Amino acid sequence: MDMDNEDFKVPIKEKKKAYEVDFTSLSQTAIEKMMDSELEHIAGIFGVDRDTAALLLRHLQWNKERLIEKYMDNASSVSIDAGISSPSTSTSSPTIPSAPGPSRRTTSRSSTKVLGPSPSTSKQRRTPPPAKKYTPSATSFTCHICFDDSPSLKTRALGCEHTFCLGCWVDYLGSRIRDEQELVIPCMAESCALRAPDSFVRAILVPDAGSPEAKSMTPEEKAAGQKLWERFGELGVRDFVGANKALKYCPYPACTNTVSCPSASTKASLTRIVPIVTCGARGIPQTSQSPSSSSSSPALNPYAAGGGSSDNTTLDTAASKEHVYCFGCPVESDHRPVVCGVARMWLKKCADDSETANWIKSNTKECPICQSTIEKNGGCNHMTCKKCKHEFCWVCMGPWTEHGTQWYSCNRYEEKAGIDARDQQSQSRASLERYLHYYNRWANHEQSSKLSLDLYAKTEKKMESLQSSSALTWIEVQFMRKAVDQAVRCRRTLQWTYAMGYFLENDNMKELFEANQRDLERSVEELSELLEGPVPVDKEGIGVLRQKVTDKTVYVQMRNEVMLEDTANGLVEGRWKWNAPVEGFSYEEDGDVDVLP
Amino acid sequence: MSGICRPRLAEERKQWRKDHPFGFYAKPTKAADGSMNLMDWEVGIPGKVGTPWADGLYKLSMTFPEDYPSKPPKCKFTPPLFHPNVYPSGTVCLSILDEEKSWKPAITIKQILLGVQDLLDNPNIADPAQSDAYTMFKNDKHSYEKRIRQQARENIPK
Repeated sequence: MDMDNEDFKVPIKEKKKAYEVDFTSLSQTAIEKMMDSELEHIAGIFGVDRDTAALLLRHLQWNKERLIEKYMDNASSVSIDAGISSPSTSTSSPTIPSAPGPSRRTTSRSSTKVLGPSPSTSKQRRTPPPAKKYTPSATSFTCHICFDDSPSLKTRALGCEHTFCLGCWVDYLGSRIRDEQELVIPCMAESCALRAPDSFVRAILVPDAGSPEAKSMTPEEKAAGQKLWERFGELGVRDFVGANKALKYCPYPACTNTVSCPSASTKASLTRIVPIVTCGARGIPQTSQSPSSSSSSPALNPYAAGGGSSDNTTLDTAASKEHVYCFGCPVESDHRPVVCGVARMWLKKCADDSETANWIKSNTKECPICQSTIEKNGGCNHMTCKKCKHEFCWVCMGPWTEHGTQWYSCNRYEEKAGIDARDQQSQSRASLERYLHYYNRWANHEQSSKLSLDLYAKTEKKMESLQSSSALTWIEVQFMRKAVDQAVRCRRTLQWTYAMGYFLENDNMKELFEANQRDLERSVEELSELLEGPVPVDKEGIGVLRQKVTDKTVYVQMRNEVMLEDTANGLVEGRWKWNAPVEGFSYEEDGDVDVLP
Repeated sequence: MSGICRPRLAEERKQWRKDHPFGFYAKPTKAADGSMNLMDWEVGIPGKVGTPWADGLYKLSMTFPEDYPSKPPKCKFTPPLFHPNVYPSGTVCLSILDEEKSWKPAITIKQILLGVQDLLDNPNIADPAQSDAYTMFKNDKHSYEKRIRQQARENIPK
């Protein structure tokens, strides 16, 4: 916890389920306000301007306490490290940068006189040779980047007096901000570590209206400058959010919202809660992101118009999903009930080729001499390694020579090495089977969720036929859609319960967990069957179906809540025992964990 | 935007002809029709006297991107050089040639070439780019020097 989380406290919601977390979503403007207050604070304490405060804070990843400590300890060395002053000037006066003069001074050939007097002369004397090289002399100035020496050249320099023309600065800023995505903009001179403060960047990219620079810019240049300046601001916000553990940027493309979730800001807290949050924004630029968004809304639209009941609420939920993501890990979906550490382990297990290795382990053996992997393809147990020509017995893995002709009494059967080898094999075979059990179910629910896109479309049709064959209104047939919504939600829960089950230690708690899982799964399957089944044509049939589906939906929803609630409570109580070390959890009984390859 | 690149290179060329360090050469390549291609330079870097690199003149091609000098040129030894910080392709790995590290638009061609010359006998072991030279430099300095002298002999200009 690097920063005062008190600053970003969230109002506590009235009724909160055990599996929900407190969070607030913040717009870019709100974050900028937070940054501003931090800047004001530091600027006030140190008596420096906001530009300097920003450079200092960014340099120390917005860690105010450390900054204050270090700055009080040795202000000049912090200023040098943060690129505010160069080593030579800083010794005399570390607060030079706060003077408004040098960093923002603009000169043009016509007004070179400005250079002569004022604060800069005294400073120039202190600055060593490199500055001299670039300092424009009164007679002629040539930009050392583009070698332009036209008399109308406008120039800019940071506090180090390394002067370059405005055009070169614009190009350079573009390259740093757009191409490198960098917030840190060092002086263009070789080995000069001074960094450009925000006001300097702003004055170049978006000069004040009415200034001569602004007048000489074409509309395209203005637009490009504006865009770069906006991007620069966004990079600043990202930097701030990245440094604060209680904040997380929304991972959805083109979304600039941030979520504040102080309760999930530490590693330890992630073992007790599953911080699934939403940034508050809706809609996803790419329709492919959400399974239900693309197909269902076009199907709905003409109907809603024709039926005369424009039901916008259902349209909204289906067409534009909220940006749901996990605050604690990079998984961009709701992985409740399983905690981040376990979810990550599961995904990693599914993604990497550990199971290929497992298959190799269960179906092949290694040559006892050269360790080549061998798959038995003939009936005889007398093996000859293709590589090293070692002859051995497939059953006991001992050398064949000792078997001689007495194979059937294989006297090496009880040899320890042989037993170990066989044990290992049967163990890895069992663990592969175990993994496949969980994986198949996990993948099945995932597949079903993906197919929900079709299900939504199919349900649309059913709702239509229901409406035409009965006196039900559009609103009255919404129970179908609600049921599908619920089924999809529950399948996602179920999917992740299998990831959780795989890593749970076999104990009574797991049995209770599996009982909940079983109830939920069975009821979801029953609901799905009702949804997939044929639509009755007669009135009574429809009434019965409606009753059944509504009842089931409520029941399923209840089971889902029980499942989530119970697992969430279990996390808080530390009830779940994992069979493998999970990041963040402490282990007392490391010795007897189940060996999982 | 693209305006700077060519004038700057023309000026670099002018400055170079006016004054350049002893033993070096640097010139833009010629296209088939005899016109000068400012975006591609041929340069030669001599090994420093008193080092195993002495007497050799190492050929390097410099390719300037359109957004030079915002971006650094690509420097490639032709043929590839036996050196811990030279990639098997010949590309030089040097902090001042990396826009994410120390590249600055104000760095001149002269400074780059002097930097590369300095790198020859002062390899940066923290940043190896080829394994052959790196392992030999680390494990067997004697053979490494022998190999470098051999390479220097192969690169004596005719």
